[in-house]
Amino acid sequence: MSFREKSAWISFICLLLLVLTFFVGLHHHPQNAQGHLYLALGVVLGFVLLQIVLHVIVVAQSPKDARTPKDERERLIELRGARIGFYSLVVGEATAMGAFHAHGRVDLLMWSIPLAILVAWMIKLGSEIVLYRRG
Amino acid sequence: MTSLPIDNSIRRLRFENGEMTQQALAEQVGVTRQTINAIELGKYSPSLEVAFRIAAAFNVPLEQVFQYRKGGGAK
Repeated sequence: MSFREKSAWISFICLLLLVLTFFVGLHHHPQNAQGHLYLALGVVLGFVLLQIVLHVIVVAQSPKDARTPKDERERLIELRGARIGFYSLVVGEATAMGAFHAHGRVDLLMWSIPLAILVAWMIKLGSEIVLYRRG
Repeated sequence: MTSLPIDNSIRRLRFENGEMTQQALAEQVGVTRQTINAIELGKYSPSLEVAFRIAAAFNVPLEQVFQYRKGGGAK
């Protein structure tokens, strides 16, 4: 497995943990706005730290692989993943806006937009992993 | 998956060049080992530049490395 594929796996898993932790936390404390802010900050900090630690471990295992610049196939995979992620983002944002117009709840819009961004990011990373696996 | 209409002789050429590893070829060409593997298995079609670099690594003309299969697999 190449360094970039490992990196995509790490980011995907960290992002999945972030989404699960944050939205499960929101579900358990639905009315506490200050708690939401602390939860968001804590989860983002945890996400960044986990990403750094896991990437450092992977780089330490194969530093030469990590230093190799991206080649044309890896750039192509990244572009294809970004395209799929972009369309997912558009669909997610349109759904969020549609839900807002249907229900008129600002809190719904406030949380569905970041959720759409995070899901689109996960779809981008997931697409990259699939493309790396295919060869 | 769409099969590419291009065959290649990279595996044979690596064997004929002292069982050159994919990693060694990748370093000469300037791509990752996984990309060489994908090209060798016919899963990825390289750019013209990379194709020429692979041929140069084996010191053979391009057509000895890649062969176009007429009417095969093109979308």
